[in-house]
Amino acid sequence: MTNALELELKQLIIDTLELEDVTPADIDPDEPLFVEGLGLDSIDALELGLALQKTYGIKLEADSEETHQHFANLKSLAALVEARRVK
Amino acid sequence: MTTVSITLQDWRAWQPGRAPCDDSRLSVDAHPRGASVPAMLRRRLNASGRAVCDMLSELDSEASRVLIYASRHGDGDRTLDMLYALAEQEPLSPARFGMSVHNATLGVHSIARGNRRSLQAIAAGGAEVAALFSEARGYFAEGESDVIVVFSDAPVPERFAAHVDEPTDLAVVALHLSASGGRPIHAQPSDSTNAGHARSPQPSDVIAWLLNEASLVCPSRRLTWTLSP
Repeated sequence: MTNALELELKQLIIDTLELEDVTPADIDPDEPLFVEGLGLDSIDALELGLALQKTYGIKLEADSEETHQHFANLKSLAALVEARRVK
Repeated sequence: MTTVSITLQDWRAWQPGRAPCDDSRLSVDAHPRGASVPAMLRRRLNASGRAVCDMLSELDSEASRVLIYASRHGDGDRTLDMLYALAEQEPLSPARFGMSVHNATLGVHSIARGNRRSLQAIAAGGAEVAALFSEARGYFAEGESDVIVVFSDAPVPERFAAHVDEPTDLAVVALHLSASGGRPIHAQPSDSTNAGHARSPQPSDVIAWLLNEASLVCPSRRLTWTLSP
């Protein structure tokens, strides 16, 4: 179940953020998504927040420490979606 | 009247679909690679943006030159997509917004290559060539020796195509201009008969002029530019 959601989120990240030449296998669930690891930037964070809202109905505070923790890596993101999704 | 002189040192151009020619400074490749920009920045560039960045990596290889960008219509596709989203009361895409601003492509080049000089972006309602030369002269008058000017345009989105006088060709041209030492560019008043037949110059017209295939006229400013050998 978790793995299916992780794969779905990987594909969401790749499609939403137009990551050329990145495949789901390239995204390590434990590696940082931002700056290091995958190397996403602040615009990606906003874009990803928007995608979570559209796809799962999850609303996040853009600047909160909690959001930082949810966006730390793919595993934390999957945990957030599992806990808070309304669609 | 005295004006600051302006000369052409070098140029690059991209116009997909144009008949290939021997001049290696012109690319007709349908998919510019954007190889000069790291993949994480490149993903946000459209084909024109990739072409611009590849040209700048050659003409501004030290990332040290003043850059002036002009486009009559800018990125119509992204801008219109955002307007549609607003009309549907959908939230705006931050990435799309970031790349829709007029100076976005120069911004990507400056981030990728570390150029911290002045960057300028112009839209001049069809008088972009005149505006670019005029801005370049301004920098030369202030003591700058070299500037790079970029002129990029693309067809306007289909829904708005009926509202423009002339269809726009997809093309980009970049000129390395200097105050002296290159091929002199002279501006002359064009007679009204000449100007009456010409369209507002597009990047593709500048390319034809560089290849010695056509003259370069700006009807709204009544100017003709000649390029000395």
